[in-house]
Amino acid sequence: MDVYEVFRRGGHKEPFEHCGSVIAPDSEMGLLMAKECFLRRREGEHLWLVRRTDIHSFKDESLLEIAADKSYRFAHAYRDVVKKRDKARERARELGETG
Amino acid sequence: MSEALASLLTALADDELILGHRHSEWTGFAPHIEEDVAFSSIAQDEIGHAAALYSLLAQRSGGDADGLALGRDAAAYRHAVLCERPNRDWAYTLARHWVYDTADAIRLEALHDTADEDLRALVTKMSREERYHLIHADAWIERVAAGPVEGRMKLEDGLKEAFEEALGLFEPIEHEEKAVHEGYLPLPSSELARRFRELAANKLDELGVQTEIYSRSDEAAEFVASSSGDLIASGDEHAESQPERARGLGGRAGHHSDEFQDLWDVMTSTYRNNPGATW
Repeated sequence: MDVYEVFRRGGHKEPFEHCGSVIAPDSEMGLLMAKECFLRRREGEHLWLVRRTDIHSFKDESLLEIAADKSYRFAHAYRDVVKKRDKARERARELGETG
Repeated sequence: MSEALASLLTALADDELILGHRHSEWTGFAPHIEEDVAFSSIAQDEIGHAAALYSLLAQRSGGDADGLALGRDAAAYRHAVLCERPNRDWAYTLARHWVYDTADAIRLEALHDTADEDLRALVTKMSREERYHLIHADAWIERVAAGPVEGRMKLEDGLKEAFEEALGLFEPIEHEEKAVHEGYLPLPSSELARRFRELAANKLDELGVQTEIYSRSDEAAEFVASSSGDLIASGDEHAESQPERARGLGGRAGHHSDEFQDLWDVMTSTYRNNPGATW
């Protein structure tokens, strides 16, 4: 018997989300189990089944930690630029009117 | 602040900034889109480390990090020549990435014992990201080295090029003796170079890459060890005007190639246009 992780989605534009796991002898049986366990009340419209041993992850989770300041990867780090752009536009408009 | 510590911080920061800049030139051009994002992130990490090192230097000596990074003349940079070389092709870029991050791992390991508390804290932070960089570099060269043959040959060419200049990373820094004596640099550069050669040779053996690639860097090592004092003292040689001596030396004394002048022009052009502006 293998452990299978079950993913389902609520609608065809929704992402698949993990909803639990089932123990089954093969994927065909696993799908049947998963349908009964996780889709019996119309919780979604589609299922994925993945053998747990086929899921890959970092053995050392500390590799995922962010070690340094990464503010430049977020929009809020560039708010000043928006202000400056607005100012520049205003100045350009004034110049246009007087010139 | 100690001139030896300033020298050490400058060399470390300049290496990270200049290599980070070269890496960033792949943004939009890497072999596939996922790697484009991954390699660009690594470039940002390296430049982020440079920013942190420049900030520490600025804190101690006055001035500001941006000014240190972008407001100096090209001759004031102390990075190894290897870092400034153009990217050539993806194979050379990978080879240099691997050589640099292998060398950096050895350097950072030694710096865990540096006498400066702030630098020690920074090294701990940087090591986390550098460990990932090395995993990335290892993963790439293991796969390319395993064939098909065209990729493997290109990788070997790239490794040959990168290795010839690798020991420039372990060229003694200015005020090296003082830096070691004062405990900022816990191990002399010659010892770091020895560790690098040993580690790199073992890894290349595992990959089954031709040994002459790194045996040539052994000859260069002897040169560094025997006349390191001369190297810093005789200030007029150019990184490229010394064909008989090991290539890639001189960076730690500010002797760079014309290729660096081109990089510097591009890298600092915005800053020079409006120094002191916030972005």
